[in-house]
Amino acid sequence: MTKKVTRFFTIADYLEEENWLREMHSQGWKIVKIKAPCFYTFESCEPEDVIYRLDFRNTEKPEDYLQMVSDFGWEHIGDCLGWMYFRRPADTAASEEEGELFSDNESKAEMVKNIVRTRMMPLVVIFLCSVLPNFFRILNGEYVGPWGAVFSVLFCLLFILYVYLIIHCGIKLKKIKDRYKD
Amino acid sequence: MDDKIRRIYVPMTESGFYILYCLQTPQHGYGISQQVRKMTAGAVNISAGTMYGALSKMEKDGLIKFHSEVEKRKLYKITELGEEVLSAETARIDRLYRNSKGEYLG
Repeated sequence: MTKKVTRFFTIADYLEEENWLREMHSQGWKIVKIKAPCFYTFESCEPEDVIYRLDFRNTEKPEDYLQMVSDFGWEHIGDCLGWMYFRRPADTAASEEEGELFSDNESKAEMVKNIVRTRMMPLVVIFLCSVLPNFFRILNGEYVGPWGAVFSVLFCLLFILYVYLIIHCGIKLKKIKDRYKD
Repeated sequence: MDDKIRRIYVPMTESGFYILYCLQTPQHGYGISQQVRKMTAGAVNISAGTMYGALSKMEKDGLIKFHSEVEKRKLYKITELGEEVLSAETARIDRLYRNSKGEYLG
């Protein structure tokens, strides 16, 4: 039996996503497919404690990385929007580090920096170069007529969405990164 | 060893030090992590992502180089530059250790 679940996680919510997938597996639902931006397909299974980990890699997936991760005991489930999904039964991880993809603070922080650089920055650039100028044009009443109204509402919604995303992800990613500082 | 390499790698991370040390004999990532665990009686565990990141970075910076490929696994080996960095690190750690025992070097 399979079921499809729609749930949205931002680029700063990957730790929550890992916990959620683990929770689902412990309830007898293992993830089989992830489709952008927020569609998850689960298959019923024996309830089990399985650790899920996400790795962000903007480069194309390197074969030798997949080989190494599987040597370390991880199963590669699939990829979605630069994220790679891995899992392993909790009882196969003898130490805390074996249950992690990154064992030191430097490499954990490096992944966060990578997310900021390749995901957060484009978001900010689009906001500054397109969403914000259009928002000011709306405030100036430059868009008129019925299409102007539709356009205005659309850009206002976009403006709110972007402000929310940038603040939410910005604060959260910084918090995660600060945790890995000495 | 130029200033850039010195700035990045001296001092280096604990994982980095063990990886470089182990690559005095050619090995792949998982082999290194097993050796480090054995050497340290389980005190130092290097995870897959950390290992891969460190190997890629050190290869890019010329501290290690590709040695051979065995069953789809890349084996690496330390370079001359890597050996230079390793001995600079070893000297630094030795100084720390001796100072920590109350020894004065001068």
